[in-house]
Amino acid sequence: MKNFYDVVIVGGGIIGCSVAFELAKRGRKDVLVIEREYLTSGATGRCGAGIRQQWGSVLNATLAVESTHIFENLEEYTGYDRSCGLNQGGYLLVAYTEKEWAQFQKNLQVQHSVGVDSYAVDLDGIKEIVPHINTEGMLGACFCAKDGHADPFHCTYAYARGAQRMGVDIETYTTVTGFGVENGRISAVETSKGTVKANVVINCTGGYAAQMAALVGDELPITPERHQILITEPVAHIMNPMVMSLHRHFYVQQTPHGSVIMGIGDPTEPVSHNIRSSWQYLEHNAWLVTQTLPAFRSLRVVRQWGGSYDMSPDRNPIINEAADARGFISVAGFSGHGFMVAPRTAILLANHLTGQEDSLDIQRFSVERYETGALLLEPSVV
Amino acid sequence: MKTVEILVIGGGPAGLCAALSASALGAKVLIAERDEMPGGQLVKQTHKFFGSEKQHAGERGIHIGQMLLENAQAEPNIELWTSSCVLSIYEDGVVTIEHAGQHVKVKPERIIIATGAAEKFLGFPGNDLPGIYGAGAVQTLMNVDGVKPAQRVLMVGAGNIGLIVSYQLKQAGVEVEAVIEGSSKIGGYLVHASKIQRAGIPVLIKHTILEAYGDGQVEGAVIAQIDECWQPIAGTERKIACDTICLAVGLSPLTELAWQAGCEVAFIRELSGHVPIVNECLESTVPGIYCAGDVSGIEEASAAMVEGRLAGLCAAVSLSYGGAAAQTLIDDAKQELDELRAGSMGIHIREGLEKMALKSGQPKSEDDTLKSKSFAEIKSTLISDGIATADDIAAILPTPERFAKGPIAIAECFQEIPCNPCVKACKAGAITMPGDINDVPVVNGALCNGCGLCISLCPGLAIVVVDQTYSEDMAIVRLPYEYVPLPVVGTLATGLDREGNALGQFEVKKVTSGGKKNMTYTISLVVPKALAMDVRGVSVV
Repeated sequence: MKNFYDVVIVGGGIIGCSVAFELAKRGRKDVLVIEREYLTSGATGRCGAGIRQQWGSVLNATLAVESTHIFENLEEYTGYDRSCGLNQGGYLLVAYTEKEWAQFQKNLQVQHSVGVDSYAVDLDGIKEIVPHINTEGMLGACFCAKDGHADPFHCTYAYARGAQRMGVDIETYTTVTGFGVENGRISAVETSKGTVKANVVINCTGGYAAQMAALVGDELPITPERHQILITEPVAHIMNPMVMSLHRHFYVQQTPHGSVIMGIGDPTEPVSHNIRSSWQYLEHNAWLVTQTLPAFRSLRVVRQWGGSYDMSPDRNPIINEAADARGFISVAGFSGHGFMVAPRTAILLANHLTGQEDSLDIQRFSVERYETGALLLEPSVV
Repeated sequence: MKTVEILVIGGGPAGLCAALSASALGAKVLIAERDEMPGGQLVKQTHKFFGSEKQHAGERGIHIGQMLLENAQAEPNIELWTSSCVLSIYEDGVVTIEHAGQHVKVKPERIIIATGAAEKFLGFPGNDLPGIYGAGAVQTLMNVDGVKPAQRVLMVGAGNIGLIVSYQLKQAGVEVEAVIEGSSKIGGYLVHASKIQRAGIPVLIKHTILEAYGDGQVEGAVIAQIDECWQPIAGTERKIACDTICLAVGLSPLTELAWQAGCEVAFIRELSGHVPIVNECLESTVPGIYCAGDVSGIEEASAAMVEGRLAGLCAAVSLSYGGAAAQTLIDDAKQELDELRAGSMGIHIREGLEKMALKSGQPKSEDDTLKSKSFAEIKSTLISDGIATADDIAAILPTPERFAKGPIAIAECFQEIPCNPCVKACKAGAITMPGDINDVPVVNGALCNGCGLCISLCPGLAIVVVDQTYSEDMAIVRLPYEYVPLPVVGTLATGLDREGNALGQFEVKKVTSGGKKNMTYTISLVVPKALAMDVRGVSVV
């Protein structure tokens, strides 16, 4: 770790590492990534790692589609010599209510407008895609065969290693304790290993982004929210796609290895950094998912864990430069879908910081939207 | 949801003792044991325990386990769940258990984690070949399942487990080619090492295993000497043919539940790794969660039993059971632990506990007597091979005048270990320990009548009785014996020296049973007088 860098990135998850990679790729190679523990130790390493293109807003769908294209070749793209574990088994979004089903029809139009190859299926169609599913109460589903999931650890390390090869430094087990601001511009990062001067600081700390931004006097409407997840013993492969219900708040997938990973959203979950596990979650998730997928009833749970969503008011990312500390840019608030849009989001930010054109308008992601009312409303979040 | 006052996790020595002491004060206890058979490691420990009477010294582990289990079963305040694996301790204090095929939730007021430890493994080429076991697994196969696990074994590690399991393998009719040990001295009790040396099993210090070889299963191992930096010395490699390699390279505390429950955990090398920080009452940093036994630091089972008792008492007292009398019981348990750890073998434990006390914010008051106590360092090669030297023997040799008076006990016990059944065994009061139970026994020739009661009661099989007055040329040596078949009176048996070498065929004069529970026989051999201080083992194979 030197005592001066052009850019210091705080947070060694998928966002921080992909931003470092894209910056270095564009020539801004004097970059340091600071991580409190080890790479992926935060939300990235705890996430379900789904990759979904079936979104309800043009912006999200665009980010997801273009990110998926990168995930499809991430090894080559980053020069990684191992597999990033992409498995495109599709996403089956099942509808249980009329309102949901109507929304899905609208979403399909949005998705088709940005080139997502998604379509609606009836109950027989659902059975064809997932033969053992219990369709009771379902009205239909949407399916996109190119959705899937990837290995969040390998994806992050692919970016990190690629960035390091281009000269980026990564400092793990280092805590950021404060920032220096001079004349309204960010000037330094104070860490547990000393002070580092910087031209630009990028805050990629997920659920901790608001606390981090507060250190330079910036207010971000981002709050941490625990989400829990579990994995079962591996068994013979019986299900390709991720099955997801927005109404019942669950997602479930079977990994190529055979383990079944599932999670649920709890609308009553309080704002907190608590990521410990609860038995209530375990029992509810097991009950809920096996209503729809009874074949999983006898599976043994190997492990359960929790992680933090970085929730924003409209459940969409915030990319924002602090008003009183220019050069301090926060990239957070992904509200549970940061992993799957990271590749394209990193490009957007890197283009912005290197003065390159981008087809997306980065200003759309600033916190101003909460004042002007130009929210990035996304109807399809678990 | 089931509610309970105290949940004890683990039905081993610590867990059973915790449940017994807590229930005796009136607390309602539930024990959750993962195995179908409670007792933990005791169920396979066919050897006699060290320690004092209070920790059942001189009794075999299996019998102690049975007794604790029977006591627990007879105690109406104890509910015992077997085949019940504790899955999690959640943030709201709810514990989930897989019990009778169900995911059962229990809400205890106090939790005692007594999960014990797991064997460590060792990295070397070929270590995934079938035939490589943890020594404890082999002990289970033999002593619990009744399966002869091998024909020829290489034992890696000369701590107590490596030494004891080697002895038990020999008892089961398995050849142990060698016990190898990386350190420059034997880590386990020397009496165990002496015992296996007498059985002809060499103990090789400063040796390591380089690789295991074999086609589809272990056919042998390459071992080599290592230097001061634990690096193999070129040219010292040699092959040892064997079908099984046992790894006895230490234990790791099973701390998962403590981590999960949010107990603060620290790495303390002397306690064998990451351990939950506990205070003097064995309460962790999470109020109401106690840890006892190997989970908070690897020690002997005798210490685990006392820790369990202490944790059970403290947990029950915290629930307002026991009254004023309970404090005396707590103080007694603490004192017993101090005694067990006071000797030279307890130095690292004391150092580890000192670190823990600092971390728990309760630095122990300096015990000056212990700090200033110098331990009799074993200077001879006994420490490296378990074989007493001529000088070691000379130091305890009775005078010719005493020999001339008749039989006398000779305690070849040179190491300060916490153990005193010999003192209790001697009705004549001839065996004493000047200080605490960690001192080596001293035989008073004026009081000893050579009755030999001590022979079969010594857990280390380190006492013999020599009678130089048997006849003009011949002496009688009375030796402890724990093998099958038994020597037959009137026939000849092979007398062995301290290294297991045959010294000749000698008449078996007498075979005395130690009793149904003791199970150690005393064999009287008639040997030439000149060999009376050399014959220390007997073999009829």
